[in-house]
Order: sequence, then structure tokens, then C-alpha cells
Amino acid sequence: MLAQLIVSGLVNGSVYAVVALGMTVLYRSTTVVNFCHGEFFMLGAFAILVSQQVLGWSYTASILFALILLMLFGSLVERLLMRPLQNAPHISLAMMTIALSYLFKGISRFFYGREVVPLEPLVDGGPIELGSVILLPQDLLVAGSSLLIVLGFFYFFQKTQAGKVIQAASQTPRGAALVGINVPRFQNFMWGASAALGAVAGILIAPSTLVYPDMGAHMLIQAFAAMTLGGFGSLPGAVLGALTLGVLENLIGGYVSSSLVEITAYLAIIVVLVVRPQGLLGEWRQGRG
Amino acid sequence: MDKSLPASTGPASRGPRVRYILVIILAALLALPPMVNDYQLFVANTMLVYCLVAVGLNMVLGYLGQLAFASAAFFGIGAYVAGLSMVHLGLGSLPAILAAAVCGGLAGALVGLPALRVRGYYLAIITLAFGELMRWLYVHADGVTFGSGGFNMPGIALFGSELSGTGKYYLFLAVVVIGVGASALLLHSRYGRAFVAVRNNEAAADSLGIAVNRTKIIAFAWSGLITALAGALYAILNGRVSPDTFGISQMLMHFVIVMIGGLGSLAGSVIGAVLLTGLPELLRNFPGLEEIVFSLLLIVVLFFMPKGVGGFLSSRLPWMRERLYREGRGNA
Repeated sequence: MLAQLIVSGLVNGSVYAVVALGMTVLYRSTTVVNFCHGEFFMLGAFAILVSQQVLGWSYTASILFALILLMLFGSLVERLLMRPLQNAPHISLAMMTIALSYLFKGISRFFYGREVVPLEPLVDGGPIELGSVILLPQDLLVAGSSLLIVLGFFYFFQKTQAGKVIQAASQTPRGAALVGINVPRFQNFMWGASAALGAVAGILIAPSTLVYPDMGAHMLIQAFAAMTLGGFGSLPGAVLGALTLGVLENLIGGYVSSSLVEITAYLAIIVVLVVRPQGLLGEWRQGRG
Repeated sequence: MDKSLPASTGPASRGPRVRYILVIILAALLALPPMVNDYQLFVANTMLVYCLVAVGLNMVLGYLGQLAFASAAFFGIGAYVAGLSMVHLGLGSLPAILAAAVCGGLAGALVGLPALRVRGYYLAIITLAFGELMRWLYVHADGVTFGSGGFNMPGIALFGSELSGTGKYYLFLAVVVIGVGASALLLHSRYGRAFVAVRNNEAAADSLGIAVNRTKIIAFAWSGLITALAGALYAILNGRVSPDTFGISQMLMHFVIVMIGGLGSLAGSVIGAVLLTGLPELLRNFPGLEEIVFSLLLIVVLFFMPKGVGGFLSSRLPWMRERLYREGRGNA
């Protein structure tokens, strides 16, 4: 039972990792904490739903459509709504992302109301037994894709020229601008990439949960919890925190009480911020926030 | 604009004009009930409730400059404490309202504690978690709170007689006048001026001998008290308390009211509450439309009226200027 709980916790945690990574990347590059990231996650799932069930496209085509759409969405949000406010107080920036979060939720609720819609699984097949642990092919796909995405991100940031430019621009935007890096364009790209990461998580999780307008709200808090656990703003911390949270939720649900699962994330946030605000891996700095 | 904080900025020192206008408004409010029907009276009562909410949230968001998401939680605490103390303990409505205010103040001080350690986004996240935790508690402590279905309020009596809509109106008006008036006095005392000093520059405030931690706790506690007061009135007005009322969409309503009214403006808070309370009534029958309209309004205000209606008015009408509001980025 313990092994099963840990393994399925890691599967859940890997989805949190993709969401938390998307938020951390944006936070690192723009110092904006995006309260509408949960809605990017929700819109990813809805994009699949609409292209499959309304337009009748195949899974592959819908996934491509969702990713491109959300990438476009993210950069439009940056260009039209966030950039004009870049010199505004930080409360205004936070309020803008909060407004967007409700706007997206309202739009999807306007069309889907209180419906909860199921999606077909991404892969078929019976459960796979590995010793005492039973996994669905869907779980393996989710964990595998998340792992690939996370590794790809780290490779991009640490090893490629473009990744290093991005790191430079997020450390000192002004310095980067002085040596000729187009900082606004890079921030625009990061909004797109972050939205696409949110969409990936939505696409991965939608078949095993259901699709509904409020699905992003809880995920946002789980991503916050993952980031806080790992250390706010640290990329490896976000991944580690997400996996820890996934396992923690399952252990508490399995051994203590299943009604505590939904508040594990809240408790984690409160305990970590009060006891060890820098989290597991983070360097503690009172940022611009 | 002069850059020093004037020594005496009590409401009375802003000239007789403001005083006359306040008296006229109050007289108009007192004369209102006979002129409106029951439904309009209900909307007026809701406006009174949200005036308090806006003033309570503005205390932390506007004056102290801290991004906190707890006002829906304070609102809920007020409603639950008032309702449950009437149901379980058989308190009358006035003691129940007082109990709600006290518990709200305590909850505010409790939420203020992490604000001593964490700031900005960290505070936003921890207060968000607090609000959701409270909601979980309302659902799962069902022995006391009646679980996810909520409960109905007992009849509201004051001095032995059942309160009608008009009676509620005068009760609410009295509570709101006291709450907003006390907030204005607090803001113009040395404690209130300390809120603004801490917002503008914590280190500078500290070096001037302002006890930063105590200031933050006072602001949070007062915000909790005022918002819980509003929650108690809300429960009395609607006669029903249930957990899903105090979720994230309640929070959006609070934010929009304060942002439209203007951060750091008491007059703006009241104006924002009056402007926005009618809307949900109009949009009730369309799923999602309320969220769409509110969020679009918030976006428009952020773009075109960053200081809200209060800031806009005080730039046109000098006598409306609230001296505590200071332009600048603040530290939030």
C-alpha cells in the first residue's frame, strides 16, 4: 500500500510540477506572480475539448491546436494587458492577473455553465502491474511526458545559448537591455511559454479528471504550495516541491483521512511560510513583491 | 502637493463643506425607507454591507499596502460567528454582531502575524490558503456549522420586536456610520498615519520610531473587525449562511469594489460599494456573466483610472481630497 501511494503520488506530483514550473519560469523572468495560471491550465483542457467534440479533430491535432492557441494567448496577454502596466504598482499587476483569471473562468462558464465534461483517455489499455504497484497506461504517459518536459526545460535553461540569454535577462533586465538583449520580446516569449506549460498540464490531467470552469482554481493553490515547499522562485525547487506535495497528499489521504487531502496544500503553504519561508531549496530574498 | 504629513487632518479640519455634505447625505439616507419598495430596500441594505467590506479591505490593501486575500474569509467568519451564536447560544442580534466583530478582529490579528514575516506575494498566497482553509472548516466541522448546506438564521429581533426590512435598514445604517466613522478617526490618528508610513517605506517608518509590527497587526485586526461586522450584517440581511458564499468569487467582488473606489480612499470605498452592488442583482440569471463583467470592469479601471473613482474625484474636486492618500509605488 505504501509503495502504491508513493508511486501514484509521484504521478500526481509530476502534473503539479509542470504547472509550478510554468509559474516559476514566469516569476523568474518577469517578477510577476500569475494568478491566472490556473486558468491557462483550464483553457488547455477546454481547447482540447472544443477542438475534439465541436470541431471533430483528432487527439494529435487538438493537442497541437491547444498548445499553439495558449502560446498565442499568453503572449497576447503580455502585449495587450501586462506591458502597458509595467510601471504600475505591484498591486495593480497582481490585480490584472486576478481579473484575467475571473474573466477566463467567466467565459468558459458562460458557454459550459455547470456542466462537467469527460474526455477520452489519451491512451487505452489495461492496468500494468509492477510488483505490488498497479499503474494505468494513462499514469505512465502523464509521468513520462512531465519528466520529458521538465528535463527539456532544464536542458534549455542550463545548456543552450538562448536559455542563458533568458537567465541573464531575468537576473538584471536593465543590464541585459544594455548589452542588446530585447527584454520586452523575451518577456513576451516567456508569457507564451508559461501559458503553454499550463496548457500541457491541463491536457495531461483532463482525461483522468473532468473538464469544468473551476478546475484551475485548486490547481493554482497546489502550484503555489509546490513552489513554496520547494522554495519560491527556484526551478528545481518547484519540481521537488511538486513531487513532495503529490506524495504528501496521498500519504495523508491513505493513512490519516481522505477529507484532509484537499487541505494538504493549504496547510503546506501556511506551515512552510511560517516555519521555513525559504522552502527546501530556495534562497530567501524579499523580492520586489 | 506638499510632501509632509500634516499634523492634524481630522475629518473636521477639511472645511465646513465636507461636513455639510456629510450631514445632507446622512439626512437623505435617514429619509430613504418610505420612498422605496422592499426590493430597493434590500439592495440599499446590501450596499450598506459592502460599504463596510470596502472600508475593511481598503485598510489593508490601500492604507497598509499589503496584498492580502483574507477579506472573504473575514466576511465569512463574521457571518458564521453571528449566525451560529444566535442559533446555538441564543444570543440576540446586537450581542451576536458584537461577537462577530470581536472574532473578526482576533482573526485579523492572527492573519496579521504572518505579515510580520512574509510580504508581497508570499502574504497573498498564505492569506489565500487561510481563506480556503476556513471554507473547508465550514464544510467539515458540520457538527457546529451544519456542513456544506449551511443554515438558516433565526428571526432577527431587536429590543423584543421582530425586525422588518426598514428596521434592518436603520440598524445597518447605524452600524455602517459607526464603522466608517471609527475607521476615519483611526486613519487620522497617529496609528492610521503609521499605516501609510509603513506602506510608503517600511525602513523609513521604522527609523522614525514607528513600531512597524504593531502597526501591521493593528491594521489587520481593524480590517478583520470591520469586514466581520459586514459579514454579520450580510447574514442577518439574507437570513441564510452557507460556505460557498465566502469563496473566491466573493473575493473578486471585494477587490473590484476597492479598486474601482480607489486604493486608500474612504469616500472611494463607499462610492465603489454603491456603484457595484446593483450589478450582481442584474446579472444573476446568466452563468458566468457576473464574473465577465466584473473582471472587465477591473481591467478598465486598472488601465484608465488607476487611482479609482476616489482618486479621480479628488483630482477634480480639491475639497474631496483625502490627505492620507499619497501617490507612489508603495512597497507592495
